[in-house]
Parts: sequence; structure tokens; C-alpha cells
Amino acid sequence: MTLSSVRRSALVLGIVGVVLTLVFHWMVFFWVSTEAILGISQRIFYIHVAGMWSGLLAFIVVALCSAMYLWLRDDRLDEVGRAAAEGGIVFFAIGLTSGPLWARLAWGTWWTWEPRLTLSLLAFFIYIGYLLVRNATDNPEKGKMYAAVIGLVAAVNIPLIHVSVYWLRSLHPEPVVVRADGPPALPPDMLITLMTALLAWTILLASLILLRYTAGRLESGTDNLALEGG
Amino acid sequence: MRSYVEEVRALAAKDLRVEFRTRERFASMTAFVVLSALLFNYAVDWTVVSPQDLASALIWMIIVLGGLLGLGRTFELEKEDGAMQGLLVAPVRRDALFLGKVVANCVLLAAVEVIALFAVALFFQVNFIPNGLPVAAVLGLGTVGFVALGTLFSGITAGTRMGETLLPVLLFPLLVPLVVFGASATSTLLAGFPATMVYGSLRLLGAFSLLALACGMALFRYIVEE
Repeated sequence: MTLSSVRRSALVLGIVGVVLTLVFHWMVFFWVSTEAILGISQRIFYIHVAGMWSGLLAFIVVALCSAMYLWLRDDRLDEVGRAAAEGGIVFFAIGLTSGPLWARLAWGTWWTWEPRLTLSLLAFFIYIGYLLVRNATDNPEKGKMYAAVIGLVAAVNIPLIHVSVYWLRSLHPEPVVVRADGPPALPPDMLITLMTALLAWTILLASLILLRYTAGRLESGTDNLALEGG
Repeated sequence: MRSYVEEVRALAAKDLRVEFRTRERFASMTAFVVLSALLFNYAVDWTVVSPQDLASALIWMIIVLGGLLGLGRTFELEKEDGAMQGLLVAPVRRDALFLGKVVANCVLLAAVEVIALFAVALFFQVNFIPNGLPVAAVLGLGTVGFVALGTLFSGITAGTRMGETLLPVLLFPLLVPLVVFGASATSTLLAGFPATMVYGSLRLLGAFSLLALACGMALFRYIVEE
């Protein structure tokens, strides 16, 4: 697959992602029914969950690419890992800002030391470190290796984020879609809105990763040309 | 070929011998923990909270911050005069090299922790004696996990331009489980509860430390690779 075809796929995915984002926002504001207890504030749930979902998905991609890079030493894997880390930080930032906005109304406080919230913030900082390390080395190959090691160690944190809601005493609402003890506990219109939001931002994340990957490959291609040209 | 244990022992002994002769890291870490405890005295209004209530938090924070000071310089010696190359061409396994560094750092940090405990006991009238052994077990397990991760990330930061300033950014987020379970167990023990109350925390600290050691042993060879 050539770089230009990757870029074309990224653009197509980007357009689909943006359209679906507009659709799910319309559903959130005008279509989905209002939750009986939490009221209108619950509508931020769709944005929050989609942001966190895409952030976690991106970080799983980082972990996989890191492990594969250490094994195969293929620069393309490193580029995908970097692209996913940058995309993940964007979506985690959405999740981490929408969470406190909702918490202020539902729990009466902007921030609480709730385990999943705290671990999400920590994961966010781990990936900031992942990107900082890459740019702080004189030898780019070293930077890639360091980042891959951090990506892999950080992956240990991702399962902790998921299980902490059960493991530690927690204020966070329990999962309503993927549940161990039965089918989704959401009414159909809420489930459809949530699924549209998840799909929209998963596609948008894929588009961002591919676009950043293309830019990264072009950057390293230019660097190599500059080196060859002396 | 020398046995694995012999390799680890030789590497740890080399680092400890250097430290014993220079005492650079030990002196700076010890001064840091004692002075931190002293400053803490003036930072808190003791008419509002009792020293015993904050003792475990104080111990863990000064150990983490003081330890960071020493761990950040783990590979400082190897950065000079191509000493790292010398270590890498030596007939020792990479994971033994990592374990040797971890053992040396653990001994160093344990020595600093003893002084930190004395300082806290002296300054804040905290009695560690009744639950001395369980407190030592909690701190010991916590030290292994902290040092394992710290040594791995110190190897990374030593190869970057940002050096030691990057270490807390990489290390602190991963230390949270350690501080959560370590500080809560220490607090429970200092309040006079029996050691059986902290078995759960001890198990989690042990699991965290084993995981950190395994990660370090598996990944260290990639960060020293040329």
C-alpha cells in the first residue's frame, strides 16, 4: 500500500468520521430521550464514553505497536505507535474534560479521587512521557526504542483502569453496555446513540492515526533525503 | 561461564563499592530525606493535625522523592568515558546487569530509609517499634518495586537530553499503586492495628514488585542496545 493510497483512505475515513460525529451530536441534543434521574446532564455521557473508548483503543494500539516494534524493528510500526499516542491523548483529553463537567452536576464536585478517573489521568501523563522521550534523544533510533519500552510498560496500566471500578471502592457508575451479568442495561435509543458515537470516534481515530502516520513517513523520508544530500 | 547469581553479585558489589568510596548519592539522599522531614514540620499546622496521622504519608513521600534523587543518577557513572560500553562487552547477561543495578539501588535506598525512619521517629514522636517487622516488610516490598521501575526508566532518561527532569514524568504515574497500598498499610500499622490487617496490601505490593522486576528484566536489554 503506497503512502498516497494510505492518505486517501485516511481522508475518506476522516470525512465519514466527521459526518458521523455531526450525526451523533444531533442525536445527543435533539433525538435521544432524557434520562429520568440524572436529567439533561446525562447527555454528556455519550461524548465522555466515546472519548474514553477511543483514547483507550489508541493506547492499546500503542502497546501492540510497541511490542511488535521491539520484535520486528519495523519503522512503520513505530510511526503507527506515535500516531496512536497523539490521537489517544486528544481523545483522552475530551474524556477527562467531559468527566468533571458531568461530575460537577452529578456528584457536586469537579474532581474526586475516584480510581478510574485518577488512573485515566495517569495514563494520559504516561503517554505525554512517551512522546517527550521520543523527541529528547539525539539518536532517533534510540528514541523509538525508549518509546516502545514505555509503551509496553504503560500497557500494564490499561487493564488496571478497567478493573479498578470493581477492584477499589468507587463512585464511578458501573458499565451499562458490556456487562458480565447480562445484556446492555440501556434503553434502545440511548444504546443506538452511544453506538453511533463510538463508531464515529473510532473511525475518526483511525483517520487521525493514518494521517499522522503519512505525515511521519514523509518527515522521515525528507530527513533521509537531506542526509543523503549531505 | 559464571553463574547468574555470581554475575548479579559482582555487578551489585561494583556499584556499592563505588558508592561506598564516593558516598555521593548516599550523602545527597540522606540530606534530602532529613531536611524534607524538617521542612515538613514547618509546612504543617500541628494544632490542626497530629504528626502520627501524617507520618505514613510523610515517610512514603520523602522516600519516593529522595529515592528519585539517587535513582536518577544510577547510570551517571556509566555515561562517562564509555564505561557503559565496557559493561556491555563484559560477559554478563543484560538482565543480570539490570538486576545488579536493582540490588545495589535497593541496598542504597534501604540504608536511606533507615535514616528517614529515625528522622521521622525523632522529629514527630512516631513509634515504629510495636509493628517494626511488618512496617519493614511493607517498605521492603515497596522499595523493590520502586527501584525496579526507577532503574529501568533511569536507563531511558540517561540516554536523553532531558536527563533526570524526565524521570518523574515517566515514573510517578506508575508508582501510584505502590504509594496507595504502601502508605495505607503503613498508616494501618502505625495506628497499632495487627499485621494481619495489611496482608492484602502486602500481597498487592509483592505482585507489583514482581511485575516491575519482570518488566525490567525483559525490557532492559532494549534500552542499552547500540
